[in-house]
Amino acid sequence: MTLISIEFLLFFAIIVCIYYIIAHRFRWILLLGASYVFYATLSIQFIPLLLASTAFTYFTGIIIERQETKKQKKKVMLAGISVLLFFLGWFKYFNFVNDSLREIAKFMGLNYSVPYQEIVLPLAISFYTFQAVSYLVDIYYGKQKAERHYGYFSIYFAFFPQLVAGPIERAKKLLPQFKVEQSLNYENLTCGMKRIAWGFFKKTLIADRLAPIVSSVFDSPNPTGSQIVLATILFSIQLFADFSACSDIAIGCARMLGIKLTENFKQPHFAVSIADFWSRWHITLSTWLRDYIFVPLCKGKKKRSEIYFAIVITFLVSGIWHGAAWTFVLWGLIHGFYRVFGDYTKNSREKMVSFIQLDRSPVLHRWVKIAITFLLVCFSRVFFRSDSITQAFENAKLFLTISSWRPSGIIKAFEIFSLLDLVIFILFFIIVQLFQYIERKNGSTWEWLSQRSIIARFSFYIFIIVSVLIFGVSGNGFVYGGF
Amino acid sequence: MMKNIEKYRNAFIAVLDLEEDDVSEDLALGVTREWDSIGHMTLISEMEDVFDVSIDSEWITEFNSYMSGIEILKRLGVDFD
Repeated sequence: MTLISIEFLLFFAIIVCIYYIIAHRFRWILLLGASYVFYATLSIQFIPLLLASTAFTYFTGIIIERQETKKQKKKVMLAGISVLLFFLGWFKYFNFVNDSLREIAKFMGLNYSVPYQEIVLPLAISFYTFQAVSYLVDIYYGKQKAERHYGYFSIYFAFFPQLVAGPIERAKKLLPQFKVEQSLNYENLTCGMKRIAWGFFKKTLIADRLAPIVSSVFDSPNPTGSQIVLATILFSIQLFADFSACSDIAIGCARMLGIKLTENFKQPHFAVSIADFWSRWHITLSTWLRDYIFVPLCKGKKKRSEIYFAIVITFLVSGIWHGAAWTFVLWGLIHGFYRVFGDYTKNSREKMVSFIQLDRSPVLHRWVKIAITFLLVCFSRVFFRSDSITQAFENAKLFLTISSWRPSGIIKAFEIFSLLDLVIFILFFIIVQLFQYIERKNGSTWEWLSQRSIIARFSFYIFIIVSVLIFGVSGNGFVYGGF
Repeated sequence: MMKNIEKYRNAFIAVLDLEEDDVSEDLALGVTREWDSIGHMTLISEMEDVFDVSIDSEWITEFNSYMSGIEILKRLGVDFD
């Protein structure tokens, strides 16, 4: 039962009905049961791991709090984090490290006998491990009290709307919301339903329609340079539609239960710099990395070069978190380099902008920055999307070749679409862009819509639903569900 | 003995490479070229050293102006009176 399915919608509708019928004191049992049922339908074999990680984190939190001294608390916290990271490392990175060591041994002519292991990645392990780590660190710093109610704590660990691919929440924000009695609220229900519908719209009409087209290029043995350029740009659109749709559905479902999750996206492809991009893309991961990796690394650092080093390490962790492959490591390092290079050249770039008088037209200047940032992000995604490091470098070379950008070549590359697919994609892409344009101008498109006539509003809602039913396609889950 | 407010001002001057006159109550993160997001982290490290405090990540974000910095340090027990 994936988030994009009739089964899930029926399942969720039943949960919402029961949630508001039963007394508040029983709701945690319902949410916990629903979370485990949902997880079991996707990955039943890893339920024991989820249960063990929950129990381990719960008791470690209490033990940290019970320690007398800061030093003792730190010891317990570090031990707890090590165990959690060991599980993550074992399931996610064992074969990556194993394969890398084998290659190094082969290169050096040494004998390496550890065989490849068939290890299946437990669903959502990267997400719930990060939530667990932040929980333990926050207890250590005294920002979070160790939760004593095992039921509420377990929901924090496995809350089904956001379990598969976030948003990555902090206990401080989520736990109190579970404990407050949520009454049936018209606004929560309608806002939630709209977000879910919009998520389905982006996922089934943009992301999953683009996925096979993008794959046809990246899986092709001999793609042309223009095809790589076009497929990479399309992949960026696909990835945003896919992941933001997943967040929309999670936020919408939680909202219908009266729980507000953190927004994960703020139109990242309209960022004016790489720093700005990371304040708009996967926001809950960015803030997690900032709070638990970057800020601790910056402690005591007073030179810009030392901060640069912390930035690169943080992006390296981000890359490794995304996937156990050198392509993700390089993707992370590329972003680290972008961020450092951007800062280092800030003054000279400002001088250049002034010299060519681009700063005299702020709107044009802004759009130039948006275009450059988007292309830099696209380039990094060549590595994110490629299946191997060799393929990534070949694709990157094609992406950077000037002839790949010839308009005639790009137009020809559109042949990767069938005519029907192209028309459908353009239509729905324009609708998403209009939605985002209204959001940029008015803050919230839903609020803007609420001020329109009832006919206009319901026409739009019906259009979303009918479009999904007629033109929507559903692929194999979410891209970030694989992390 | 140097007052805390002087230590505070000196931290800005030393870390962000500002002139004495540049440090005023209007100073804010992102307003001057020197106090950018990278300079901010070096400034936080300097403040932690000078006042022997630990500023957590939430307050690092909140520390976005000369005046808000004083408020945060006061919360951490630094006396500016």
